[in-house]
Amino acid sequence: MSSGTRQLHPDENIKLGKLGPHVFRIALTTGVLFLILTLVMGLLAGDDMTRFFFSYLVGFSFFLTLALGALFFSTIQHLVRATWSVVVRRLTEAMMGTLPLMFGLSLVIIIPMLLGHTGLYAWSDLAYAEDNYFVSQKLGYLNVPFFALRIIIYFAVWIAIAHYFLTRSVQQDQTGDTSIAARMRAVSAPAVIAFAITTNWAAYDIWMSLEPEWFSSIFGVYIFAGAMVALFAALILVCMGLQKRGRLTRTITTEHYHDLGKFLFAFVFFWGYIAFSQYMLIWYANIPEETIWYQMRIEGPWMYVTLALLFLHFAFPFTCLLSRHTKRRRSTLAFFCAWLLVMHWIDLYWIILPTYDDGTIPFHLMDITATLGIGGLFVAVAAHLLGRVDLVPTKDPGLGESLEFENY
Amino acid sequence: MSSASEAKHPAQEFNQITETVADVIERPKPPKAWYVAFGIALAMLGLLAVSVYHLLTTGVGVWGNNNAIAWAWPITNFVFWVGIGHAGTLISAILFLMRQSWRTSINRSAEAMTIFAVMCAGLFPILHTGRPWMAYWMIPHPNEMLMWPQFRSPLMWDVFAVTTYATVSMLFWYLGMVPDLATVRDRAKSKVRQIVYGILALGWNGSARQWHRYERGYLLLAALATPLVLSVHSVVSFDFAVSKIPGWHTTIFPPYFVAGAIFSGFAMVLTLMVPARWLFGLKDIIKESHIDVMCKITLATGLMVGFSYGAEIFIAWYSGNLFEQYAFLNRAVGPMAWGFWIMVTCNVLLPNLFWFKKFRTNPFLIVGVCLFVNVGMWFERFVIIMTSLSRPWIPAAWADFTPTFWDAATLIGSFGLFFTLFLLFIRFAPMVAMAEYKATLPAAHAGHQKG
Repeated sequence: MSSGTRQLHPDENIKLGKLGPHVFRIALTTGVLFLILTLVMGLLAGDDMTRFFFSYLVGFSFFLTLALGALFFSTIQHLVRATWSVVVRRLTEAMMGTLPLMFGLSLVIIIPMLLGHTGLYAWSDLAYAEDNYFVSQKLGYLNVPFFALRIIIYFAVWIAIAHYFLTRSVQQDQTGDTSIAARMRAVSAPAVIAFAITTNWAAYDIWMSLEPEWFSSIFGVYIFAGAMVALFAALILVCMGLQKRGRLTRTITTEHYHDLGKFLFAFVFFWGYIAFSQYMLIWYANIPEETIWYQMRIEGPWMYVTLALLFLHFAFPFTCLLSRHTKRRRSTLAFFCAWLLVMHWIDLYWIILPTYDDGTIPFHLMDITATLGIGGLFVAVAAHLLGRVDLVPTKDPGLGESLEFENY
Repeated sequence: MSSASEAKHPAQEFNQITETVADVIERPKPPKAWYVAFGIALAMLGLLAVSVYHLLTTGVGVWGNNNAIAWAWPITNFVFWVGIGHAGTLISAILFLMRQSWRTSINRSAEAMTIFAVMCAGLFPILHTGRPWMAYWMIPHPNEMLMWPQFRSPLMWDVFAVTTYATVSMLFWYLGMVPDLATVRDRAKSKVRQIVYGILALGWNGSARQWHRYERGYLLLAALATPLVLSVHSVVSFDFAVSKIPGWHTTIFPPYFVAGAIFSGFAMVLTLMVPARWLFGLKDIIKESHIDVMCKITLATGLMVGFSYGAEIFIAWYSGNLFEQYAFLNRAVGPMAWGFWIMVTCNVLLPNLFWFKKFRTNPFLIVGVCLFVNVGMWFERFVIIMTSLSRPWIPAAWADFTPTFWDAATLIGSFGLFFTLFLLFIRFAPMVAMAEYKATLPAAHAGHQKG
């Protein structure tokens, strides 16, 4: 039990300083350029932008899940009164601060749908939907205006939570008022509930409904599990990047990396558990409406992607992250974080793209450029937010304990 | 700790814990309430013996099971008891890995409860086979008839999941108890106690080397037990979810069953520990704040269960499958709708009372809510099994269910087994993990005070 009296080292660099605008400029330029490039490629593809939207959705999903993971992490720390994590919490708060941006980016999908584009979601094509018995049953739920409304509601809830916890946390830095921490704790419980409901249904809407006949009640949990893997991987890499540039060098220690690594490991395991549960139950019952989704993913070259997820998203990192040495050594931990981010991207690609073309892997350069474009904007917004605040919640009542934290 | 005890020398504080906990098993006579409870528990255990005797000599026809509803009460009871047995491992393993030091006041008794609940659970499928003397056929073993278990059946997976769980829980419980058994041995005055606790303590002498190995072993067991928290009830959920029965086949079942199991397990821990801490003067060890945290975990897992009900019902509608839709409609408004609404009231609505501090601090209100949760979780399994089996696809295959006296007697009897074992446990084994508890006190970390 530590007493929690340790202070931030007086020479610690807790400001992003010049690094902020620097990263902001580079990321923004990269983002805009890649998005323009993607748009041009989309227009040149000559398929009424359909392929573009699939690529765009992959990139959008990758950063949306990251932001949602950050939102969950930032709120649940208050709920469970975690103190070990205080030194990294500001970084996830900045990541969830990108949710307004993600809402803006979601409009690129929603507005064309409202204008009658039907390429991305098959159910938005009424001729198709009414022709398919199962899909026609769902049109009360799966229709463009209601879909758009739901997406707006999800984002309203997420942005409200993110805004509340980010502003209060920063406010506490300035005033040192510990009652803010108590207030955040009280709000965190309903916030987590609202997060669970909206994220689950958003997963049903954004990803599950790509294949409108198909349904799986665990699907929201699957998306959540992947999002948490991505969040811990990204968070660890951000910490390392900042430390390399001389920020927070004395604040974030091997002990914190070890714990973040444990959570990364735990969520790799959890992802495997959920993925297995979903696959096994559908495979075993063998009902056509359900197996259709996996059928597309075990035929032809998609089978290799499916197997890659099993071995490379689960088995390989699971085995290697078991060891504490992997988690405590920066180089190996960084490797697995980068690895798992790539695997999370492949996981989303595997969820989204088979709908576009079952049979082949319809890889297109746009898949990469769209992700880089959206990623550029994501990083720019996060860097901009971080540039204006301290990199740690300096007046958080748990900071002392977090600084002293040691694994035993 | 109260301000009075803070002023004490750390050694006195440690000693007081030993005195308080060891007193429960060393005092010449337990409190009267213990005798009353033990008498009732023994009577219920007797009822179990009569029920099992009647069942074995007559056949499973003494139960209300019929061709349509073959699982009926025995499997309801099985799933109910396995669920109760989940708090123990969660508290011992997951909360240990999460460094939740408050767990040390209740982990021992929760682990004991887990083991007894799993014993009760194991009883039902074995009796339900109809020929329990053949139960050993479920264990793969070489035999002249070349009979081999059907590994493709989730019922077989249950055999392995539950026996693994029981074994690891037992090891964990016993390993954790060794230093405390040695304490009891060293304090023993009678020859019998010295010999019995001496054997159980496995020659523990408290050397640094023993402690080092003990702690490594405990950490490893905790890590091994963690996946078991998920696996056992996931496998139990597979019994239902791999099938095509409307209302059973939905992919959220594994995590939903795990949440429900932890929910019911915590409710049972609270039901037992709230009276026990008062009865045996353990209020300074099992503190109000610990009870408060457990109420919150009960609330959180209850909300997860409610969330799963919502997801399950939504997907049943969204699937567009008429049979799935009918299964859920039938649950809510069909002939057994009363069961569904008991379930919803007890599992979804009532736990929300734990949002209020008053309900997390008043012992009567805590036990009251938790009893409802236990009832609700039994009804959850009842609703899943009964409604789906009594109204499957073809109306010609529909059937109703009437429980018999022996259904009720066996269930009540299983509570007798559970309470008898639990009462014996608190009388003869140290019910608080003394060594672990002391290790979490501030005084145990005096050297670290300056960080």
